Amino acid sequence: MPRGHARSEASASRTTYAGVSMSHTHHAPPTGAPGPARGLAGRRAVGAGIAAAILAGLIAVRVTTSQGEFDLPDATQDFVTLSASVLIESLPFVFLGIGLSIAVRLWLPEDFLVRRLPRHPGIRRAVVSLLGVLLPVCECGNVPLARGLIVRGLSVGEAMTFLLAAPILNPVTIITTYQAFGWDDGILAARIAGGFVIANLVGWVFSRHPQPMSLLTPKFQAACAHEHAEGGRKSRRAAKMFAEETAAMLPALVVGSAIAGLIQVAVSRDLLVTLGQNPVLSVFALMVLAFVVSICSNVDAFFALALGSTFMPGAIVAFLVFGPMIDIKMLALLRTTFTTRTLVQLTAIVALASAALGLAVNVVA
Amino acid sequence: MWPRFLERWKGIALTLIGVVATLWLAFSGQLGLYIHPRYFLFTTIMAVIGGALAIVAMLLLPASGADEADHEHEHEGESEADASQRRRRPRGRRRALAGAWATVAILVGAGIALLALPPATLSAATAVQRDVERTTSDLANESPLLVGTDPSEFTFRDWALVVRQGGAAAELTTTDVSLVGFVMPAPDDPDDTFVLARFTITCCAVDAQPIGVPVHLPDWRERFSPDDWVDATGRFGADPAGGEGLVLLPTSLEVTDQPSEPYVY
Repeated sequence: MPRGHARSEASASRTTYAGVSMSHTHHAPPTGAPGPARGLAGRRAVGAGIAAAILAGLIAVRVTTSQGEFDLPDATQDFVTLSASVLIESLPFVFLGIGLSIAVRLWLPEDFLVRRLPRHPGIRRAVVSLLGVLLPVCECGNVPLARGLIVRGLSVGEAMTFLLAAPILNPVTIITTYQAFGWDDGILAARIAGGFVIANLVGWVFSRHPQPMSLLTPKFQAACAHEHAEGGRKSRRAAKMFAEETAAMLPALVVGSAIAGLIQVAVSRDLLVTLGQNPVLSVFALMVLAFVVSICSNVDAFFALALGSTFMPGAIVAFLVFGPMIDIKMLALLRTTFTTRTLVQLTAIVALASAALGLAVNVVA
Repeated sequence: MWPRFLERWKGIALTLIGVVATLWLAFSGQLGLYIHPRYFLFTTIMAVIGGALAIVAMLLLPASGADEADHEHEHEGESEADASQRRRRPRGRRRALAGAWATVAILVGAGIALLALPPATLSAATAVQRDVERTTSDLANESPLLVGTDPSEFTFRDWALVVRQGGAAAELTTTDVSLVGFVMPAPDDPDDTFVLARFTITCCAVDAQPIGVPVHLPDWRERFSPDDWVDATGRFGADPAGGEGLVLLPTSLEVTDQPSEPYVY
């Protein structure tokens, strides 16, 4: 690597570099250092400067505006407050999930798990659906993981079981669902059991396909090759993963929070209560909502909580089971791996099963 | 070019916005406006970690030169279908541009909501929309009966619930009460009664439920407007206007500052 080279040259030289004071993490080479090394360290110094400037700018905005008197209309003000509360509540859990997922992807060898799976297909799928406990990745991070697993010998049906189960059957999701709902109305239990059953059902259905490889897009092999070739230092890869994961999740979270806030202030309470108290309509209404908002499974319980007082528990369960498996964002991600035809079938099965689960919970409740 | 730049940095930018907003709320003691106190420590710690990760990622991310090398690498393995896809450039570019503008809107919106607007509690208008009557009596039905316990220890929440749990037990009407809450119009908007309300939250502000006690004060609108914070002292008694249940008959009512913890738990 050119960096070590650069360092020895840096120590040989007596010139100091103007940007050093900004960067505490690296020995910046002197301005006279030749080649790519100078570019790299120089860029880092500039990067540190930009980072400091952006942070200072954000803090300055916050401090100067904090005393301001903005007389927003009540509805607008409450929309902002409600949306911000969903966002602030969810953000730490998103960071937790991203941190865990990066750690797993960097330090847990992927065949470590695949080699230890039982041979019987049904039991094997059941175990695969519990892998989310060890790989606490939210659905956005799952697709690359599942691709890696297929390459390492998992069948297409098993990969689907993992894709559908992992976002629900993972510690972060279970904790946030518990935080939001406790044991109320069996929402947590129904979510866990429903996620497990539906994922295994889908895995079983697709395992019976005569030519499972035809379910995958031609592009998939190329994508896998890329995944394999990913190299470089771990810290560098971690930085890239952090940027990618936050880029995938946070915009969806911001939009989801805004929609949650908007529903609270814009949709009349009467309509929400009428819709929410209907045992059948409430289930379908929240499934459509889950599909549209595409919020991460790690934090969707907080979103559902906003609706908890007006919607029947079965609708909440359908939201919490259907949303992590199928939504707009997830379909876009899955399209990189599966054919459209497969995705239509997948969506139909999951939607029917989630609706059945939601309706059943409503009947019991 | 800028759509790709944005695509690359939007996650880190949103992280920094969220982290600065969260930490500032934590240090200025206002996190309670949005989330339940049991999350304060966890939220603060994760915000520090998230912020640190974002800054480190900013410094380590391969800069543009390395990025292009990455990109060539991607195309090495691409299939015929991909290549033809890429040849349909204008459509792809238009879509990328639309996505980039959506990202700009999200960044600006998050910045305004989290950093530019001063933090605030929910307004009385939301309390009205959320139907204080129903939420208070729902909570009262779910909670253990408070009638018969010592009212001198009652919190705002206890008073709001015990009044709905019925029973005009003598100790309720002979205890001096002092309650702080915000003013909101009573459900049928009578001139002689308003509701002294607080929001109770179980998780974060989005699940806030208004609870409150009715206060008897003829022509209350001449002294207060909705959202005023009021310190009310008095005793509960039968509604002089003939309504059902107990109302607070105030001996003194004073406008006060919003408490530092506006919600009750």
